[in-house]
Amino acid sequence: MLIYREKDNLIHRLHPFTIIMFIGVVFFLSLVFSHPVYLLGLLIAVGAVITAAGNFQEWKIYLKFGFIMIILIMFINVIMVHAGDTVLISGPRVPVIGSLNITLEALVFGAGMGIRLFVIISVFCLYTYSVHPDKILKLFSSCGNKSILIITLATRLFPLMVRDYFRITEVQRCRGVKIKTGGWWKRVKNFLPIVSVMLISSLERSLQLAESMHARGYGSGKRISYNREFWRPRDYLILAALTISLGCGVWTAISGWSTCSYYPKLPETQIYQVDMACFLVFLLLMPAILNWGWKKWPILKSKI
Amino acid sequence: MADIKIEDLKYYYPDSKEPSLNKINLEIPEGQFVLIVGGSGSGKSSLVRAVAGLIPEFYGGTYRGKVYLDNRELRQIDRRCLTQQIGMVFQDPESQLVMTGVEPEIAFGMENIGLPNNLMKRRVMEVTSALGLSSCTNSFIAELSGGQKQKVALASVLAMQPDILLLDEPTSQLDPIAGEEILSMVRRLNEENGLTVVLIEQRLERCFHLADRILVMDKGRIIYDHHAPDAIAHWAVKNDTPFIPPLARLFAGVQYPEIPVTVKQGRRIIKSYYPVANAINAIKDRKPVLEKKAKVLQVEKKNIVEVHNLWFTYPNGEEVLKDVNLTIAPGEFVVVMGENGAGKTTLLKNINGLLKPGRGHVQVAQKDTRKCLIEELACEVGYLSQDPNDYLFLPSVYEELTYTMNNLGLKDDGIIKEVLNRLHLTNYSRDNPRDLSTGERQRVALASVLVSRPKLLLLDEPTRGLDYLLKEELGKILLELQKEGTAILIITHDVEFAAEYADRIILMADGTIVANGSKYDILTNSTFYSPQVSKLFNNIIDNVVTIKQGKDVLNQIIAMHNDDKAVPV
Repeated sequence: MLIYREKDNLIHRLHPFTIIMFIGVVFFLSLVFSHPVYLLGLLIAVGAVITAAGNFQEWKIYLKFGFIMIILIMFINVIMVHAGDTVLISGPRVPVIGSLNITLEALVFGAGMGIRLFVIISVFCLYTYSVHPDKILKLFSSCGNKSILIITLATRLFPLMVRDYFRITEVQRCRGVKIKTGGWWKRVKNFLPIVSVMLISSLERSLQLAESMHARGYGSGKRISYNREFWRPRDYLILAALTISLGCGVWTAISGWSTCSYYPKLPETQIYQVDMACFLVFLLLMPAILNWGWKKWPILKSKI
Repeated sequence: MADIKIEDLKYYYPDSKEPSLNKINLEIPEGQFVLIVGGSGSGKSSLVRAVAGLIPEFYGGTYRGKVYLDNRELRQIDRRCLTQQIGMVFQDPESQLVMTGVEPEIAFGMENIGLPNNLMKRRVMEVTSALGLSSCTNSFIAELSGGQKQKVALASVLAMQPDILLLDEPTSQLDPIAGEEILSMVRRLNEENGLTVVLIEQRLERCFHLADRILVMDKGRIIYDHHAPDAIAHWAVKNDTPFIPPLARLFAGVQYPEIPVTVKQGRRIIKSYYPVANAINAIKDRKPVLEKKAKVLQVEKKNIVEVHNLWFTYPNGEEVLKDVNLTIAPGEFVVVMGENGAGKTTLLKNINGLLKPGRGHVQVAQKDTRKCLIEELACEVGYLSQDPNDYLFLPSVYEELTYTMNNLGLKDDGIIKEVLNRLHLTNYSRDNPRDLSTGERQRVALASVLVSRPKLLLLDEPTRGLDYLLKEELGKILLELQKEGTAILIITHDVEFAAEYADRIILMADGTIVANGSKYDILTNSTFYSPQVSKLFNNIIDNVVTIKQGKDVLNQIIAMHNDDKAVPV
């Protein structure tokens, strides 16, 4: 089902290019950075933007899932990886795994990777709840019209197929097809009529769709993409902040400020590294800061 | 603006031996509103597709003859140019919309023909205002109602500003109110913008009066083409063709010289016989009341369905049924009507066990649905959904029937042969059900339900998309089942069908039953849920609901009038 809902805030009123750039920059930096402070900074930035977009409730579900994943990653990492000089707990010898030494480095590495996963999950959460799917596809329509149309069609038909599935299941259950009782093999077999009906009906529908597209001139020549999006000062401000943060991010990665070699011993975090991380977070918080001002001062609404 | 001219058109679909269009010669001047009627497979859709250029370009097949648009042969016209001149709206809104949002969908056609962005914006603004879609331009298509989706499909075509608008049963998947809205818009476009309209429609009571010209098709040929409704109605009655609205059929059926196309015209005729009609009313008054009492006694004896204080709330918190009480006796024919979202389908699903009551009790054949699985109730309760395609996946009709029996653990004691015979499917038993026509597919789906000899038959919108002939066939089958003691419960928006075949009508609104009584009580005292015949005699002669009753009364009026030699007022 389509879960995007238009909300009355600045994030939902950004140009699709701006929001996709934000998502892209955060995603890219989350892959480039390995220092836990920098990764935490990215998480704070993306979390603030999600909250500003009014999607905190939806993000909470992702947070719960992400938290479980972090715990799992940390647990597996400390059990399996014995590298690191700072031994916190010395455990007994276990077959296959070896001696069960828990090191601080393995624990922090697990936490760092968990935060990275958290950032990536959050970025997808932002994309799902705060970005209109059609608008994004329109952005890329000039790069490949047919592929974009296929994705659009899939997005359009997915809710329809889910509805078909529930309806056909009900119909077949009324014919005595047992979906919820009996052995698992029988249940799987009983799903066959549902899948068959869905496939046949989808084929028929695809023909009708093709006919409707043909009747509206699809494939009759070069298409012009319909565009109603506006560029506003807010987009320029955010894009400028994103460009600077991308540049700084790449520079910190090359210079090694935002990277971290966890093993054999955790390096000490320098104050200039934290300063730079704060500066990057400030830049990436730009959409959330503007949204706050947008709501607080009506004059800003008209200006940006 | 453009004229259409067709010369000796003959067309075979690929792999078909019978022509779908045969010797079609037709001229449609610009600005004309043409209504095409005919049974399933008569060639209506093929004809409009030939005019749109989809035949043969999209379908292939064998094509002879010529179609001209403004004296230019259609196949010589560039497709982009043709698309801008001829727009087509199809039957099912779900199967013609491409984009996820309303605004991109409306712009889709314009994007294809390469219009500049500024012009697209202007036209989107114009059509959304004209069709009342301005409030939902930012909505997702999936969130719209059926009527709104069809409006979006219409808007997308109109945004290309065609001279000719072709509509292939645009209201068949919609409820009556949404259907009415679409047809009113089409009429406005024809009258105010001079758009040529070619409309295929089954619900003739809604559009017969709109058309300037009516074409009747059968077996790929145009068998009648006339401008005057009188002539068409008399011809239809003479040739036993059901493709005229009930009102016209009623007057033509009694050989009345003047044929009304609207209820207003019909009432003017009836009122001219007012003294006679008043006298008849006094005689006609009692009969249906006695019928109703007899039914009530039967209901009190034994019930197949008992619903007591039923409340139902979906997991999302939406309270859909509120304190519903209902009983259905064996052999009763009950129709549930009401607007979309009134709770009709939820009630049906509570009766067949798909949903379990939140509060209250539902008993079907003395079994509490809360304690039974739906599969256990399937032998007692037959359920036919609105789309017969949801049932059909096996390679033959026979296998579809045996599939149900195997699922329910039943043995064939000759029931398959009996059901195939009853539903006139014996000749198709080895055919693939997906290759059959709409009506035949529905009969196969019904057969697959009837093989379990259900005591209660539930049907959800069974007449949607069916023509008059198929509806009549379905009605007859249901009446036969009713005579054998099967209780029938139908959800429908089709007032004419309910009036002809039901005993009892239930009206639902906002999750409650707001009216429950004999069809004479409900349909004759209603403004909207009333058939054309009842509207015709409303406040003149009471309790006239079916066409047969209408004919009897009309014959009586004319006979008494002639006997008395009374002068019409």
